Amino acid sequence: MKEIVTIQVGDFANYIFSHFWNFQDELLGLAQEPDGDPIYKNMPLDMDVLYRAGETQEGIATYCPRLISVGLQGSLGTLSTLDSLYNSIPSPDTSEIITWSGDVSKHISEPRKKNLFLQSLDEEWQGKSTSIGNDAVEGRGDAQIQIQDKDRVECLENGVQYWTDFSKVQYHPRSLFELHGSWTDIQKFDNYGIGKDVLSEGSQVEEMSERLRFFVEECDRIQGIQFIVDDSGGFSSVAATYLEDVADEYPNTPVLLYAARSPSSYSNIVSKKESISKCLHDAISFSRLSSLCKLMVPIGLPSLSKSKFSSVLHVEDQKLFHSSAVYAASIHSLSIPFRLGMLGPAASSSNAIGAINVGEAVQMLSSHASQNMVCTLNVAMPAPSSIDEQLKGSILRSLHSLTPEIQEDAEDFRAVETMIVHGTLYSRGHRASVSQVEDSICASYEHEPQKPLFSHLTVALCPLPIPLPFPSIFKSHVGRDGELLPGSTQSEQPKGSLDINSVPMAARLRSSNAIIPYIQRRLASIQRSGLQRGTSSAELLQKWGFGREEIEEMGEDLSRKIMSFNPHSEMSTDSD
Amino acid sequence: MSLRVLNPNAEVLNKSAALHMTINAAKGLQDVLKTNLGPKGTIKMLVGGAGDIKLTKDGNTLLKEMQIQNPTAIMIARTAVAQDDASGDGTTSTVLFIGELMKQSERYIDEGMHPRVLVDGFDIAKRAILEFIEKFKTHVTVGETPDAEILKMVARTTLRTKLYESLADQLTDIVVNAVLCVRKPDEPIDLFMVEIMHMRHKFDVDTRLVEGLVLDHGSRHPDMKRRVENCHILTCNVSLEYEKSEVNAGFFYSNAEQREKMVAAERRQVDDRVRKIIELKNKVCSGNDNNFVVINQKGIDPPSLDLLARAGIVALRRAKRRNMERLVLACGGEAVNSVDDLTPDCLGWAGLVYEHVLGEEKYTFVENVKNPHSCTILIKGPNDHTIAQIKDAVRDGLRSVKNTIEDEAVILGAGAFEVAASQHLVNNVKKTVQGRAQLGVQAFADALLVVPKTLAENSGLDTQDVIIALTGEHDKGFIVGLNQHTGDPIDPLMEGIFDNYSVKRQIINSGPVIASQLLLVDEVIRAGRNMRKPS
Repeated sequence: MKEIVTIQVGDFANYIFSHFWNFQDELLGLAQEPDGDPIYKNMPLDMDVLYRAGETQEGIATYCPRLISVGLQGSLGTLSTLDSLYNSIPSPDTSEIITWSGDVSKHISEPRKKNLFLQSLDEEWQGKSTSIGNDAVEGRGDAQIQIQDKDRVECLENGVQYWTDFSKVQYHPRSLFELHGSWTDIQKFDNYGIGKDVLSEGSQVEEMSERLRFFVEECDRIQGIQFIVDDSGGFSSVAATYLEDVADEYPNTPVLLYAARSPSSYSNIVSKKESISKCLHDAISFSRLSSLCKLMVPIGLPSLSKSKFSSVLHVEDQKLFHSSAVYAASIHSLSIPFRLGMLGPAASSSNAIGAINVGEAVQMLSSHASQNMVCTLNVAMPAPSSIDEQLKGSILRSLHSLTPEIQEDAEDFRAVETMIVHGTLYSRGHRASVSQVEDSICASYEHEPQKPLFSHLTVALCPLPIPLPFPSIFKSHVGRDGELLPGSTQSEQPKGSLDINSVPMAARLRSSNAIIPYIQRRLASIQRSGLQRGTSSAELLQKWGFGREEIEEMGEDLSRKIMSFNPHSEMSTDSD
Repeated sequence: MSLRVLNPNAEVLNKSAALHMTINAAKGLQDVLKTNLGPKGTIKMLVGGAGDIKLTKDGNTLLKEMQIQNPTAIMIARTAVAQDDASGDGTTSTVLFIGELMKQSERYIDEGMHPRVLVDGFDIAKRAILEFIEKFKTHVTVGETPDAEILKMVARTTLRTKLYESLADQLTDIVVNAVLCVRKPDEPIDLFMVEIMHMRHKFDVDTRLVEGLVLDHGSRHPDMKRRVENCHILTCNVSLEYEKSEVNAGFFYSNAEQREKMVAAERRQVDDRVRKIIELKNKVCSGNDNNFVVINQKGIDPPSLDLLARAGIVALRRAKRRNMERLVLACGGEAVNSVDDLTPDCLGWAGLVYEHVLGEEKYTFVENVKNPHSCTILIKGPNDHTIAQIKDAVRDGLRSVKNTIEDEAVILGAGAFEVAASQHLVNNVKKTVQGRAQLGVQAFADALLVVPKTLAENSGLDTQDVIIALTGEHDKGFIVGLNQHTGDPIDPLMEGIFDNYSVKRQIINSGPVIASQLLLVDEVIRAGRNMRKPS
C-alpha cells in the first residue's frame, strides 16, 4: 500500500493545496541540498507516495504531484492548462495552422501578467537549463538576491489573485482541469444546484474520471485518495459527482475527505432567501459528501484572526493566501504518517515512529464504538516544546480546533484519535528525539482529565519547512526555528518566510462527540425547511433536483449519525 | 411600474427600447458567427490570457468559449448549443437564422407594425416550410447495406467546412467506415462504440481508422511482450490486487507472525484468481503459437503481474469502463466479472496486439480482429490545438453519417434548400395568407436567404448578384445552390453537396420559436445590479 492520489476541487481547496505542494517541493529541495540540514537529508518521508515519476516525449524525466485540480474556467491565472513542462507554449502564429487553408482571424485576450515571484521562477527555470556552474556569480550577488526575495515576498503579500500566483510547483498537464460553465455567472456559483448545471454540460464528468484513471492506472498499490473540496458553493456537487464515480470505479480505495471553507464564505448573507439557500446548501452538501467518503474532516473557521491561534499567528482573514496556509500546514502534518516508508506499526526508528496508511487511519477513526466518520482537526502551529518538565502537556493544551461549529469542551470517553507531532524542539536549536517526544506525550496524557479511548501517535523529526512563497503570518515572538521567544512585544511586524526557516507542528484528528453541533445544525436545516411542502425552500430543493423522499432519507441518515453518539442508542426512537 | 415602487434601483427598459436591445444582441451574435459558415469561412484562433491556443471553426465551440453576458445573446446561444446537442451540427446556421429573423422584423417594426402580427406570420411560414421540407428531401435507402457513396457525400460536406479539402476527404472515408463498422441492422447507432484516440505525434494526415481498439495504456511489467500475434483476448472486470479488507488494519494483530499469516491468506485468494486465468491460457495456447492477453477493468498488482508475465500472458489493468464493451464488440467473447467459470468461449480474438510508447504515454493497439463492431479513429497531429480541431471535425462527421442513416433522407446543400424554401413562401404561401401576417411570411422568406447570402459573402462574392442569379434559376424550375468559387448557380446533386435532414428541420423548428419569444418581449427589467451593455 503506497500511492496516494490527491484531488482538489474548488478555489479555496486549490489555495490550500497550492501551499501544501509548496511544502513538498521545499522538502524535496532541502533533501537534495549538498550541505543541507541532515534532518531533511535523512527525512523518512517517502515522496513517491504523493509524486509520480514521468517522462516527456522528448525523454526528459519529470517528477510531478499525483494530482487532479478542478477549478472554474479562468481560475488558473497565468498558468496554462498545458504546462510548459510537457509542452512548449505554442506560438500564436497563424502560419502554424495546418488544418485550414482559408482565412484566419486571430483573437487575443490580454495576456495576464506574471507577478515578481513567478517571473523569478521562470528565470530560474530557464537559467537551470542554459547555464550550470555559475556559483561564483551567485555568491557575489547574494546581497542583491536578498533584496529581491524581500520584493517577491512583498508582491505576494499584496497581490495574490489566483492560487497559481504563489505556486512554485510544476504540474502534470493532466492535473489541471477547468470546468466550463459557459454562461454561468461565477459570482453565483454558490449553491448545490448550480454545480449540477455546470457539470451537465458536455462530457466534463467523463473527462474528470478519465484523468483520475490515468493516475490510478500507474499505481501499483494505491493506499487511498486524499480529496479536498471547497464545499461552500457549487463545487460540493461537483465533488459529490466525482466521489460517486470514485466509489463506482474504485470501491475498495479509501477516501479521506477534507471539506474546507474559506473565511469569506461565512459573510455576506443579505436576504432571508439567501440564508435559507445557504442553510439548505450546507445540509445537502454535508449529507451527500459524507455518504460518499470513508472519513470526512470539516475545516475552515469563520475567522482565524479572532480564534485562539491569534496568540501566535497574525492572519488576515480577507486574504485567502493567508488562511489557506494554516490549513495547508495542518494537512501536511496529517499526511506524514501515510508516507513513513514501509515501517511496520510496531517498528521504531530514530527518525520517526507511527507509520499508518490511509485505510488503517480511516478504519481506526471511523469504526469504533460510535461509528462516527466526521472528525475534528486540532492543530498547534507552531507546536511548543513539551519536553520541559514545567511545560508538560503544553502541546495538548496548545492544540486548537480548525473545525468550525463544534463543542469545544465536549466530554467523550469513547473518543478515538490520531496525533502527529513533528519537528519538536528540545531547547533552542536542538530537536527533541523521537522517544523523548513520545514519552512526553504519553506522560502528559496521564495528567489529562479526559483521556481518549484510543490514541495513535506519529512522531517525526522533520519540522514543517517554510518556503519563500509562504505568507507572513507569524507573530514577532516566533523564532527562526519556530520556537517561542520570551518577552517580545506584540506590536511588531509579522514574520514570514525570510525570518523563519521551519516550524514544529502538532496535529490531531479526533472522532468524538464534539462534532454533534455541526451535524445537528445541518439536520435542523433539513427538518425545518427541507421537509415543508410548498415553501420556497421546497421549491429550491426541487430546482436542485432533489425529491422529497431523498430529503427525508438524508434527514434520517443525519439523525442516525447523531443518535449513534448516544451510548444507549440501541433504544429505538421510532415511536415518535 | 409596481416594481419601481418596490425597488427604486430596478432598471426598466420598455417597449421599443427593450426590443431594440434584443434585436441588437441577436445581430451582434450573428456578426460574430457569420464568418464561420461554409467551406470558405474563416477559422478563428483564440489566444487566452495565459497564452493557450484554441483553434475553431465550429459555432458551437466558439459560443462556449465566448463569455457571453447579454441575456438575449445567452438565450440564442443556448438554443444553438441545444441544436448541436440534438443533431450534432447547425449551431452557426441557427444563430444566423435567428439573427436574420430579428433583423428582418426590425424593418417592419420600425414602420410601426406590431410584433404580434409578425409572429403570426412566422408561425404560418414555419408550418409551410416543415411541410415543404418533406417534399424537398432526398430519400436515402438504408436497408442492410447503406449506400456508402451518399454517406460519404454528406460527411464530406460537413468535414470540408471544418478542415482543408484533402484532409477532409481523407477523414470522410474514415468516419463513414467507422459508422458502418459499429452499425448493427435494426439497432440505433451507438457512436460511443467508435473510440476517438489521439496521439501528439507526426502529422494530421497520419490520422487513421483502426479496425479494433486503441487503449491509452500498456502492460506494467518489464517482462511482458510488447508485440504478440494470434491473441486470445480475455476481457474482465476482476480485481487482481491484494486489497486491504476490514480486518486487516494494523492494530488487530497481536504479533507479527499473525499478521503475516493473514496477509498470506488474503494473498492466496488473489493468486487463485490469477491461477485460474493461467489455467485457461494453458488450455487454449498449448501446442500452438497463440498468445494470451488479459485486459482488466480493475487493478492488477505487481505480484499478480509477475505470475502472469511468467506464464507468458500480456496483461493490462484499469481499462476504461467503456472499453470493456468496445473490446467485446471488436474482438468477440464476453466481458467476465468473475474467474470462476472461465471457458474458452469467453475469449475474444485479435490477430495482433502491440504497444506504442511516446514518452510516458503508452498505447496498446488491438488489431486484425474478425468482424468488428467497434473501432477507433486515431487522430494524430503535431500539437494539441490541431488535434482538438480535428477531433471536433471528426465528431461532426460521425454525427452527420449517423443522422443520414437514421433520417433515411438528406437535403440538398450549398444553399439550395434555403433558396427553394424562400421562393416557395414568396410564390405560393404568401398568397394564401390574409392581411398583414403576409409580411411575417415575407420576413421569414427573406431571413431564410441568410445562408446563401453568408456563403456568398464569405467567398468574397456580391450577395445581391448571387441571390438574383439563384432565385432566377430557381424560378425557371431548377434546384440550384451556390458555387463558392465562381458565384454561379450549380446543381448540388451533381456536386454531391448534401446536408442532414434532421439538422435543417431542427433549425426551422427552433429558430422562429426563439425569435418570436424575443420579439414579444416588451419590457426588460434588471434589479440589483446595473444593466449590462449589450455585447
